Amino acid sequence: MPASEELKALVAQLPDPDKNGTYVNMDQERTEKIGKLIPDLLKGGRDTVLGLIDMLVEPGKGSDLKPHFALHLLAVHVTGLGDDKARADFAAAAASQMGGDRPKAVQKYLIEELRIAGGKEVAGPLGKALLDPELCDDAAGALAAIRDGAAEQLLAALPNVRGRSRLSVIKKLAVLRCQEAAGVFRQALGDADADIRIAAAWGIARIADASAADALLKAADAHQDWERFNENDACVALAEGLLARGKKAEAVAIYTHLEKTRTGLSERHIREAAARALASAR
Amino acid sequence: MSALNGRVSRRTFLEGAAAAAAFTIVPRSVLGGPGEAPPSETFAVGLIGCGGQGGEDVESYIKNAGGSYRMLAACDVDKGRLAGAKKKFGDQVELYTDFRRLIERKDIDIVSVATPPHWHALLCIAAAQAGKDILCEKPMTRFIAEGRAVVTTVKRYGRVFQIGTSGRFGAYKSTAGRTIHKIMRSGLLKNCPAVHIHKGGFPVKQYCGLVDPQPQAVPASLDWDLYCGPSPLRPYHPHRFGWSHRYYWDYEGGSLADFAQHYMDPLQWTYGKDDTSPVEIESCAAPAHPEACGVWAWAELKYADGFTIVLDGNEWGPRYDRKAPRQVQLGDLDEQGRKKVEAMPDPDPPRTFVEAVKTRKESAGHVEAAHRAVTIAHLANISIRLGRKIRYDPVKEVVIGDEAANRLVYQPMREPWHL
Repeated sequence: MPASEELKALVAQLPDPDKNGTYVNMDQERTEKIGKLIPDLLKGGRDTVLGLIDMLVEPGKGSDLKPHFALHLLAVHVTGLGDDKARADFAAAAASQMGGDRPKAVQKYLIEELRIAGGKEVAGPLGKALLDPELCDDAAGALAAIRDGAAEQLLAALPNVRGRSRLSVIKKLAVLRCQEAAGVFRQALGDADADIRIAAAWGIARIADASAADALLKAADAHQDWERFNENDACVALAEGLLARGKKAEAVAIYTHLEKTRTGLSERHIREAAARALASAR
Repeated sequence: MSALNGRVSRRTFLEGAAAAAAFTIVPRSVLGGPGEAPPSETFAVGLIGCGGQGGEDVESYIKNAGGSYRMLAACDVDKGRLAGAKKKFGDQVELYTDFRRLIERKDIDIVSVATPPHWHALLCIAAAQAGKDILCEKPMTRFIAEGRAVVTTVKRYGRVFQIGTSGRFGAYKSTAGRTIHKIMRSGLLKNCPAVHIHKGGFPVKQYCGLVDPQPQAVPASLDWDLYCGPSPLRPYHPHRFGWSHRYYWDYEGGSLADFAQHYMDPLQWTYGKDDTSPVEIESCAAPAHPEACGVWAWAELKYADGFTIVLDGNEWGPRYDRKAPRQVQLGDLDEQGRKKVEAMPDPDPPRTFVEAVKTRKESAGHVEAAHRAVTIAHLANISIRLGRKIRYDPVKEVVIGDEAANRLVYQPMREPWHL
């Protein structure tokens, strides 16, 4: 939706940067002016949000400094009103402008602002963005920040994403400690891509999946260097998680394995960590 | 056992010694040439981040603390900077653009982290997972949850961690500082009347980022994707790289993030706050830009016991005039309390990094203290970025009742990185 002349006039009131391109010139007067401008922008509701978004351009194609800043000011403002409807209305309006032929850089910026102000109401649009390889990582990050409604979107997208997008989705399921992803993590532990295996190991640890302990230990046993560091750490973290959930026997089995098998000097810290944990568990 | 310019690293030496005779104590004088530290005393170091601060911490926290080190490896995402490492540290230094290959080296004892802060947490965690001890430039982290993840991993593996600031050595030398420390640690002062105002020392105006940087071509020497790492991959602009990375939320957090760790480290020790954080945070600042750090006037941070810290930028906006500075004194206690505190022994002196590595005990700038000190800056910046007062739970390490604030406490990372 094109910005109205009234909106353009409001946005124009935002300060210009100084000669060096910074806001070091943001004095008290300008600060107070912005404070008064935000409620005026908010009064325009959905039309304001759509108009601001229409004024955004991709980097290198001109300056959108003021609408870029204005959209962010609104995003932050609506999170502090104590009015969830105002926040959700803003977020839904912004999310409605994703997709289509809008430049990907602009869509990425919308996702950044949704990461601040979005809630469950934008999970669907972000879920669609997961299927776009250029937007997937940003969308997955926003979903992981929003949490509410995120796991469903990530799980639904998983069969349809490849490569780095798949890594993003699996990793964010781990961030969310998604118990429903236990099978995903177990399967991904045998993936051909080391980054996916590491993500899976981390996910298993995050959800404290006792049933995956043997597979995780075997993976760590089999690998070297960077991957082994990560998988060793996932083993220890899994044992800690199991202990915290009262699954002492399962945790002790992991620690015992690590204590017996990490015998080289370069893995002394793993062995000692396991030994300390065993001593305190007994 | 790998030779390093005719010498052996401490780690390699210990590995060999352990294999040969696990219970033999080798005197420190053995094997060292005339005027040289023996290998059992020489730390093998890998440096990640070869910019301005690269190598400063090994000088400050190893050499100047009476230790000896050999730089074996250096890593940077900029090949130009990387080339300088050989000139600075010698031909034995192997060069890497991927830190993972440096971390994998089994002959390195200590990893010195001197990258921009958005990489600090991941590098510290990776080093700890690989069993290395850590020197980490300040500020320790870019957001609060990173700090807790570093603390967890460092403690999990019993690693020694030293943050790149040493103010608490000076705080310990102060008789008044030790007395305050004892009063606070005694638990006898239930309501703390102290107000510490740190005025100035923050280059507020200098540390403002560009609000509309237009994309430029990435220099051939730079791996821009790896530089951005866990932070958003934005179009390259030279102002986002080098010294001025400090002026962007993606990599650091302006003058507050860059300096507060220095100022808060000794104060936090003196007031016995190494294991907690403020609970109420207010600030006065211009509306914050989404990417570029901007101007701010002050931040007021209050602990649960009433102790208040004010960070007064003293460069922009209205002056802080809410409270006057006030120190804790013995007179704040009743007579019985004063006697108890006067009878308390002095706290243990802070331990240098070198001593800590050798004894496997906590270094002065240990990981929890460093995390809590930089948390002060992060909380102030969260309040500035949101333009409102926040309340913080220092145990759960979450902002109370403010979802947007918590999305700055923990920020999911760009793939393939995670905490």
